[in-house]
Amino acid sequence: MTIDRVDVVLEVVKILLVVGLLLNVVPIMVWVERRGSALIQDRLGPNRVGPFGLIQSMADALKFILKEDVIPLQANKWLYTLAPLFGLLPALTTIAVVPWGRPFFIPTEVMYGPRVSGACIVGAAVTAILAIVVAGGTAKYHRKPNYSRLNFTIGAIVATALFLVALGLIGVMFGIKAAGALHLPGGGRLFEPIIADVNVGILLIFALASLSVYGITTAGWSSANKFSLFGGIRASAQMISYELSLALSAVSVLMVAGSLRLTDVVAKQTGYFVLFDSVKIPAWNCFSPAIWLAMIVFIVSAFAETNRLPFDFAEAEAELVAGYHTEYSSMKFAMFFMSEYIAMTTMSALVVTLFFGGWDVPWYNEPPTLAGFLLSAIAFLAKVGFVLFVFVWVRWTIPRLKYDILMKIGWKVFLPLAIVNIVLVAWFIAERWI
Amino acid sequence: MIELLIFFFFAAVAVIFALVVILHRNTVVGALSLVASFFALAVMYVLLDAPFLAALQVIVYAGAIMVLFLFVIMLLNLQHVSEPATRPIQQFLGYSGSAFFGIALVYYIVKYTVLQLPPGPFLSDARLIGVALFEAYIFPFEMVSILLLAAIVGALLLSGRGGQAPSPVRTEVAR
Amino acid sequence: MIPTSWFLVLSAILFTIGVCGFLTRRNGITMFMCVELMVNAVNLTFLAYARQFHQLHGLIFVFFVMAIAAAEAAVGLAIFISLFHHRETIDVDEANLMRW
Repeated sequence: MTIDRVDVVLEVVKILLVVGLLLNVVPIMVWVERRGSALIQDRLGPNRVGPFGLIQSMADALKFILKEDVIPLQANKWLYTLAPLFGLLPALTTIAVVPWGRPFFIPTEVMYGPRVSGACIVGAAVTAILAIVVAGGTAKYHRKPNYSRLNFTIGAIVATALFLVALGLIGVMFGIKAAGALHLPGGGRLFEPIIADVNVGILLIFALASLSVYGITTAGWSSANKFSLFGGIRASAQMISYELSLALSAVSVLMVAGSLRLTDVVAKQTGYFVLFDSVKIPAWNCFSPAIWLAMIVFIVSAFAETNRLPFDFAEAEAELVAGYHTEYSSMKFAMFFMSEYIAMTTMSALVVTLFFGGWDVPWYNEPPTLAGFLLSAIAFLAKVGFVLFVFVWVRWTIPRLKYDILMKIGWKVFLPLAIVNIVLVAWFIAERWI
Repeated sequence: MIELLIFFFFAAVAVIFALVVILHRNTVVGALSLVASFFALAVMYVLLDAPFLAALQVIVYAGAIMVLFLFVIMLLNLQHVSEPATRPIQQFLGYSGSAFFGIALVYYIVKYTVLQLPPGPFLSDARLIGVALFEAYIFPFEMVSILLLAAIVGALLLSGRGGQAPSPVRTEVAR
Repeated sequence: MIPTSWFLVLSAILFTIGVCGFLTRRNGITMFMCVELMVNAVNLTFLAYARQFHQLHGLIFVFFVMAIAAAEAAVGLAIFISLFHHRETIDVDEANLMRW
């Protein structure tokens, strides 16, 4: 099959969108983690650095960049420096096979007049609202309000907001005057919102997830610190134990879908289950009783794979100082931090794709147009956001298990459950109940 | 064109990291270089129209076997145990013998395997492999599972833990 | 389209590197890693010919080779660990009790 320039440009656009999303999810998740944990623990959380503490993540990023980078004297310098990269690369590349929207046909011609005006209005409104919120949010924290300065600041911000609204109106008039059609070079093609639609899709996810063990092991070993070594070895033993139940519990979903491709898994979930001849439930795998056991095993194994509580022996703040990243500072620590959140996002995306219908909007068959695609992408993001919130919720609710109990239930409870689940789903498929 | 670039780049990666494995003193660096070499080989498998086996190569070799190697090296602290230098006569015979063998092998391959390019793409997805495994190769499949069981039992026995209960946890550590 | 003989040459080079490492190193773990390198070179040859002649049997053979190499690695490392516990050295030339 021939690949021409437009395909390459579309692929690059897709990669930029997805990687941009993943890298931007990290500061948002840091905020959700800190404010969410504060909500659960009945305290406030960061609220100084911006309205509701929203700029806290930027302050943290600046701190990470400006801190001194310390390398321990006896550490193996090459491996010490490369270990965060071993953790980050699998986390960033695993998302390549997850479909994040409905495939649609790129329109051949775009009328840009109304779109320009619409974009100007939306942009102006959003900026104006943000400006007013920031003004209102920061106005409370002046201790002894100097009213003239306060009024001046608020006045300046409202004036900027009005100026932007005026710019928006000018843009609207320009849009109405200069209406026309833009001919898109890629028009008529099917845009598939998945970076790499290989026919062994989910095996690549398992392959790259099993490579993420090396980041932790190398970090723990090359730090020349016994606590780090213990944290690294324990975490990698836990990760390779739970990889088995992760893969085997996903096999039952793949048996129902009949294919290894994640696009086929989602396509099978776009139908409906009809109960009592009248009630239509979207055919997501979470609504099908045969898959419930697989869902439980998969979600628990996903927690263990990403080293989140109740399985977070890699960090184990109360036990091992900071586990495998004890000796890391500034940007290298930030890269470990980022790779944990990115792996969490990828696992959530996988949970959503396998069990919660992927990009499918419930009770609505999206047409293959740009609007349908945007609706499905927003639905996907909403579902991934919900699962990420569940990750945060569980972290601050359930205590950490003892390490030997964790390994015991990994091998003696979840692995047999995953195998029993495969046999069960195979029986259901043979009896045509699924 | 892109295929050629990918082939040359990853072939170079595989060969260079294999050389690091045999030449570097530190065993951990050697193990990690072997992981990189296996990953490059997985890319070669994708170029050979076998993506299923490429994923399996990364999962089994790079993701499990090499982790086992790394565990053994790290837990036995083998990077501090120094390996004595090989005797000069063994080094000379080893290098020259393997160089002679390698040159002869490459020469005869280039001279005698003049093969036509394969007719078309090779369909080798998971469905066909699964069907072949469960129909034509069912007997080796079951035998390999018994072999793996034997390997597990053997490994447990050799490491001294076969069948016995683990040592009881001491509850009193200080008085 | 890449000619099959290029893959065979790459496989030969990797096999030779494995042989060289196996013959010249005295560290047991490194020799084991060179054996794995040789096995992978052979896997590449199998797949090159499987694509050339459009036979699925080459792929199945590689599948079984991977499974068996995993079993071999487990048992071999267990042997190596017990050897290390007895002798406190990783030099395989020291394991010479049965030499004449």
